[in-house]
This record gives sequence, C-alpha cells and structure tokens, in this order.
Amino acid sequence: MRTSTFLNFLFLLIYKHKSKHIAISLISILIVFLISSVLFISSSIQKEVFQTLDAQSDFVVQKINSGKIVNTPNYWIDDFRDINGISNIQERVYGQYFFEPSKKYFTIVGIDLFEEATNKNINLLLKKLNISEFLSKDSMIIGNGVNEVFKKFHYFDDYSFKLHNREVKKVSIFKSLPKDANIIANDLIIMDIFLAKKILNIQEDESTDIVLNVPNELEQSNIKIELILKHLDIRVIQKDDIKKAYENLYNYKGGIFLILFIIVMITFGLILYQRYTMISSSDKKEIGILRAVGWSIKDVIKLKISETFIIAFISFLIGVIIAYIYVYFLNAPILSNIFLGFGNLENRVSYTPNIDFSTIITLFLFFIIPFISAVLIPTWKIAVIEPSESMK
Amino acid sequence: MIKITNLNKVFNQNTKKEFYALKDINIKIQTSSCVILKGVSGSGKSTLLSILGALSKPSSGDVIIHEDSIAKLPDLHSSAFRARNLGFIFQSYNLFNELNVEENISIPLVPLGFNQKEINEKVEFALKLANIEHKKDETVSNLSGGEKQRTAIARALVNNPDIILCDEPTANLDSVNSLKFIDVMRKLKELNKTIIIATHDPIFDNLDFVDDIINIKDGYILE
Repeated sequence: MRTSTFLNFLFLLIYKHKSKHIAISLISILIVFLISSVLFISSSIQKEVFQTLDAQSDFVVQKINSGKIVNTPNYWIDDFRDINGISNIQERVYGQYFFEPSKKYFTIVGIDLFEEATNKNINLLLKKLNISEFLSKDSMIIGNGVNEVFKKFHYFDDYSFKLHNREVKKVSIFKSLPKDANIIANDLIIMDIFLAKKILNIQEDESTDIVLNVPNELEQSNIKIELILKHLDIRVIQKDDIKKAYENLYNYKGGIFLILFIIVMITFGLILYQRYTMISSSDKKEIGILRAVGWSIKDVIKLKISETFIIAFISFLIGVIIAYIYVYFLNAPILSNIFLGFGNLENRVSYTPNIDFSTIITLFLFFIIPFISAVLIPTWKIAVIEPSESMK
Repeated sequence: MIKITNLNKVFNQNTKKEFYALKDINIKIQTSSCVILKGVSGSGKSTLLSILGALSKPSSGDVIIHEDSIAKLPDLHSSAFRARNLGFIFQSYNLFNELNVEENISIPLVPLGFNQKEINEKVEFALKLANIEHKKDETVSNLSGGEKQRTAIARALVNNPDIILCDEPTANLDSVNSLKFIDVMRKLKELNKTIIIATHDPIFDNLDFVDDIINIKDGYILE
C-alpha cells in the first residue's frame, strides 16, 4: 500500500466521519485538559512551595503548654546557643489578625530589620528596602490580597490596627508585594518585629517561635534530640518533615491529586468501555465493505489504528494546550481554588511554568494505549469474521 | 475458467442448529461467460456467490478460479485475490454514504499501491463505463437508487477485474433502472468479463447475452 494514497484516504475518512468523532474527541479533550491542568498546577505549587521552604530555617522550635502552642520565651535562644553546630538562631513573630470589615484573616509577620534574617526571601526583601525610610514611621509591606481588601475599604495609605487594650495603632502602607509572590504571600503583612509584637499582643521577651539552622545535615537528628532535652515543653519541627508533608499534599501521586486522578481515570475507562462495546453497526458494515473490495485484515486494522491515533493525538494535544493556557495565562480560575483553598482572602496567583515532560509522556501513553485498544480489539474481532457476515 | 467441485457450506456445524446452505455443488463456468444463479430467497445463491468471491469459506469442497484454489486461501491472499480479480455489486450497494461517488469508487485501489494520478485515471475510466461521471462529486447519501447502483458498478469495475459478481442487483431498482443495469452488463460482456448474477428477478430470464442459468433450490442445483 502506498503511504501517500493511504494517508489521503485516512484523512478523507476522518474528515467525513467528523460528526462520529466529535463526541469522543470533546470528552477526551476535557479529560486531558483536567489532568494536565492538575499536573501543571501541582508542579507549579510544588516548585513554589519548595523554593519557599528551601529559604526557611532548618528547625522551628515552639513552646507547648498543656498541649497548646504558646509564645516562646526568648531566653531559650541563649539556652540553645550552647549546643554545638547551631547557627542563625532567631526569634520569629507572626500571627493572624482578624480584619473585621471583610471578616478575613491577615497574617502579620514581624522582622528584625537590623539582623540578617534566616529566611532568604526576607533577606532579599530587606536588601531592596530603604530601612531608614521604612522605620521613619510605623510602616508595613502588604501582600497583594491584603492590598485588594484594604483598597476595597478605602485604606489606601494606612490602617489602624486594634490592640488588645482597645487602643489603635496606625500603620502606614509602605508598599505591596509583587503578584508573583501570591501563592505564599497573598495574605501577608510584613512589619518591624516590635510593632508586630505590639499588634499581636506578644510580650517583648517572647516570640511566636524560634528558628535555627544546622549547616551539617548529618548532625540534624542529634541536634533535634539535644533541643528536646533542653526543655521538656518543647516542640521541634524539622524542615524536611514539612517538605514531606507538602510533598504528600501536592505530589500528583498523593493526596487530593491522586483522588482526582482516580476519578478522571475511572471516567475515562467508562467512556472507553462504552466505545469498546458500542462499535456501531455502521462501523461493522464499513469494515465488511473494505474487506469485500480487497482490503486485508492488516489494512483495515492499520486504517482504524491510524484513525484512532490521530483523533487521540489531536485531542491530547488540544487538551494539553488548553490546560497550558488555562493555568499559565489565565491562572487557573476555579481549579486553583480547589488547591489553594476557598477560605480567607481571594488569591489571584500567577503560576510559573514548570512542566515535567516525563509526566506528560506518561500521561500520553496512559491515554493513548487504552484509547487505541478500545478500538483495536473490536475492530480486529469484526475484521476476522467473514466479510459477507459483517456487511449484513 | 471457474470450477466448483463437491462444495458444501454448513452453518452451526455439529450443533442442533446445523444447517446445510449448499449441498454437493459442482459447476463449471467458462471465462467471459454470463451466468445467472437463480433461486428464491434462502435457496443458497448468495452464499454460493460469497464463496465464489472469497468472502466466505466453504465447509468442504473446492473452488478453482484461473487454476488457483481460493477455498482455503489465508486472509492476505484472499484479499489480494479479491482486489485484483473480482468486482462486487451488492443488493444494498454497500457504499460509504458520507463519501462522494469518486471517493467511493477509489476505495478498492487504495491497498493496491497505485499513486494518486493512477487512481484518478482509473476512477475516471470507471465513472464513464458506469455512466455516473456527471455525479462524481455528489455525496452518496444524496443519490437515487439507480445512481447508487451505477456507483457500485463503477466501484466494481475500477480495478479492471476479470470477474463481476452481482448479488440481487435489481432488487432495489425500478424497471427503468433495471434495464439500464442490464445494458451495462451487456457492455461488460462485450469487454469479455465473466459475469455471475445471483437473482430471482425474471427480467434476466431471456437475455441474449446470458450463457447459462443455474437454478438453485434448498442448497441443491436443479438439473
């Protein structure tokens, strides 16, 4: 069989049978779009979260009182300094602030502007910051989500925080963070540590928790034990544990992604099963006619596989392209909320393209093999029966 | 020459529903002759035609066409045999309704390795022979019964086969179109084609170009 003639006929048949292919193509595009979108979102979130985590300290230490996390006394910092192998030990101040007008929570983070922060992202921010100007009055840097809420309630230049003693503290808005920091910093308010303590009602000699680094990775487990031995009412969180937790949450092989995958794959399986069982009488007759006019079983199967492959490939390609546009250009409306949560502030994140091609190829194979099998098996079954029977 | 020897076709063999469609058939059909297989519905004439066309295999016996036995040919060979030597005209036309006349006629040529130019030439020739040239761009679903029949004839002729097999070709045609069909068959006979027509239509009874009428009843040939 001459390839050019075969291809001419193949594309002619696909074009003429377009109404027959349209339903399965649309469903396939939708399924590929959903799975690809989930993959793109998960890999982008994972990249962003891991980049953020990489910038964090190796250990977080908190105080536990009657099973509750309470403020950590700062004298613990001196206690921990005695342990060999610890560096960059610092207090951290953060907490949630309820913004009554919109019934939303903001996260206030206090930073010590005169010490090198353990968090690389905050260090970067501090380098770009004109500290004298920032400290000339009580100022704050706000996340994009906070900025939107403030604007909505006409707080363009400053906002007065309510304190525990019913007084208010006016803080001016210094600047807002760029939108590309939205995944992690949408609801953040960054301010001087002492101001943050005042607003969050944390005593001057206390902090929310203490962070520290252990440069020698091999020593980390030993130091964790030493930290616990220093104080009995202590909770030590290692960065690797947080990483593992996020990995389980956002990896496509785990958590909600796995559930989504299973649901989509079951749906896809059902559609293919329907296609398998519904090879219509017109398909049967078509195969019979081809066989009667001299096409061999091999020719017929080649035609049907090629036809199915082209339909599946085009559907896959369209699905992936739409998913790419949906996630990276439109920032995944609706689906994004499923992964980032509907709660609190509306988060308009922008995802950075981070495509794992091996995953795309795996997805392609998982899609194409069942798709072709669902057509190949019934086609072969029809093709091997006598043409006089299949034309009836 | 076509030689059929001791041919039997049994459906549901060795079951309670065992049914003999053809019993001990022995026929010789000369090259370039026109033969009518005549019989009522269910007599076995269509079954015999499909065995002659290598569309189904006999339960026993042999069919020799051009000195080659086609009864037990494997698929690849029987397909190649059909593609090069046979042209079929079916009662229900068996056309692709979504394709146009020209596209339908080209289908048998696709597996034969011709290039597009050769295909176009052969299709053009078949269109003229079947007198359907004026409808070549028309979609089959828009054609009348007679036009569909002529498209089916053109498709059967496009690979220039030696043998034309027709299964109840006039069953869906009015008398005018039936006569037109007979004219085409006469033309084909003049081109030295071997024509075998399975029919129960009396219109074929006294045609001058028909060489033999074989009567079939309940799977037997009536002498």
